Amino acid sequence: MSEINLELNRIAKRFGGNQAVDHVSFSVTKPQLIGMIGPNGAGKTTLTNLMSGMLKPSSGTIYLNGRRIDGRAPYDVTRAGLGRTFQITRALNRMTVMENMLVPGLAHDPGARQADLEARARQILSLLTIDHLTNEFSRALSGGQRKLLELGRLLMLDPSVIILDEPFAGVHPRLQETIYNYIHRVHEDGKAIILISHNMGAVFELSQRLIVLNFGALIADGDPQQVKNDPAVIDAYLGHDEDD
Amino acid sequence: MIVGLFTRFERAIDDGIGRRKLGYAVLGLVIVFFLWFPNDTSQSNYAKTVFISGFFYAIMSSSWALLAGIAGQFSFGHMAFMGIGAYVAGLIARDGLMFASLGIAITPDSISSVGAIVIGTVAAGLVGLVIGWLLLRLRAAYLALFTIAFSELFRIAMLTEYDYTGGSNGLSLRPLLQVADVDTARQIEYYLMFGLLIACLLVMYRVVHSPIGIFLRAMREDEDAASALGVNVVRYKILVFVFTSMIVGLAGAIFYSDVGSERIIPEQLEVLQMSLIIAYAVIGGMESLIGAAAGAFISRYLLEAMREVVITLPFGLTMADGSDAFVWETGAWRFALFGLVMVFTLRYMRNGLLYPIINWFSGRDLIMKETVAKRKPDGDDLALAEDRDE
Repeated sequence: MSEINLELNRIAKRFGGNQAVDHVSFSVTKPQLIGMIGPNGAGKTTLTNLMSGMLKPSSGTIYLNGRRIDGRAPYDVTRAGLGRTFQITRALNRMTVMENMLVPGLAHDPGARQADLEARARQILSLLTIDHLTNEFSRALSGGQRKLLELGRLLMLDPSVIILDEPFAGVHPRLQETIYNYIHRVHEDGKAIILISHNMGAVFELSQRLIVLNFGALIADGDPQQVKNDPAVIDAYLGHDEDD
Repeated sequence: MIVGLFTRFERAIDDGIGRRKLGYAVLGLVIVFFLWFPNDTSQSNYAKTVFISGFFYAIMSSSWALLAGIAGQFSFGHMAFMGIGAYVAGLIARDGLMFASLGIAITPDSISSVGAIVIGTVAAGLVGLVIGWLLLRLRAAYLALFTIAFSELFRIAMLTEYDYTGGSNGLSLRPLLQVADVDTARQIEYYLMFGLLIACLLVMYRVVHSPIGIFLRAMREDEDAASALGVNVVRYKILVFVFTSMIVGLAGAIFYSDVGSERIIPEQLEVLQMSLIIAYAVIGGMESLIGAAAGAFISRYLLEAMREVVITLPFGLTMADGSDAFVWETGAWRFALFGLVMVFTLRYMRNGLLYPIINWFSGRDLIMKETVAKRKPDGDDLALAEDRDE
């Protein structure tokens, strides 16, 4: 099991007058399954972009396994051990499924033999039930299959922390089951997973810990059942009565 | 025996490996043809000159295919980098170079033609390094506009600095070969340029089929996604600029050292010339080195062959002057026809006119058939198909 120590200290991001992420702090120190929820515009994707190096924070620091990663290039963050998927799937369209798998494999382990990486990629694709598409261009894949491919690419990186941004969005129920199995399997392998989803059923079923964002600020962090009954969370999701 | 051969051929085309072998055999035959061509005594020096020019443009287009088609960096600066190689080689050989502070002094007498070509190549690479770094944050149209501006800047500088560069008259480079006999010289020049093309294609092929090639294509598809997968996009973007700049810098320095042309002129650096390089690559297939090279060579050859089109009149018909053939001096019309081919290619065959052939030899269509065959018969994929989002 690899080391896990992700620490966000008062991370903030401002776009003009919009405080997209408002001094968020939390840490992940064990292979937990963490749900991250919040209404649209709560700052979930911005926070993901900050953690993965896609955006530079306005202030605050992020450490991963003792190494400061805020403001670093995404490839550097990935190599430090943090992998992510995208809300809108970003398959490398004019490359085959196998080549899509080889990109992270070769980037993560430049000295590896390509044949070994291909063998590993086939195992992962088999786990994800898309091994029959190995030599197909990824543009020919369905939306759900692309989601699976993105998940597969992450495993080639062998990160210690994985952020899954809306993995169930627009996915056929049968493929959702495969994604469920993937999340369990990866978690059992000793990785921390941050699951961002609007699918509350899935989040509550899978998460051991729940982080809730609203207007860029962290409003709750703890056991899912407790968080569910937190008045601030109920207020954020259901709104409050004008008379209150 | 013929039936046996036919059966073997049939088996080969049903098998991806067989097709690839067949492809290599065809490629081998093409190479043999080019090796034999200058030895054909019926061929004029003019024909050899056309081929030499074709080889040069094949290097230009294939290296642009690597930069734009494979790495996704749609640059218009390729001809400028070629020009940098040629001009620097010419100026070094003529005027020398002095870095007093570093104690480096290269005099025209102390440097050979090869030395000047090497310095020209390195200079093109260094400028490629700077341009690559400046372009890091630019994508698509902005990158194209930036490189057009850079090209024009360089061309105008070469045109304006008449005292050094010869302005519109151009700059003569020191001849690479010193062979008195014209026929022998042409033959050596032919093999030199052909050898350079093969060497460049081999080196580029190695790059494309290495992990770097996979990273370059990932970068072309989606820079952010590639970066999130651990690819150092900055490094590979600069690398591909430097690498292709050096290739075209080398090709330019050699071609204009009286191998293909006796002088480099600023007119060669115009955007129109760059557009032709792009057009050759698009017609041949900009995602394939061989396709782009073949596209450039065939296009150059046809453009040359179409200077004068002679159509023999049928049924004993004659022209007003009594001749039995209609002669069309195509002039600029051949470029219009060429433009028409490009329009057709972009509209109907975006992967290039040679793509179906390359696709067939690579066995790509067989892979598609194989994928369909592997699909589970229980209708699972039917369910997946419903999930298709585009």
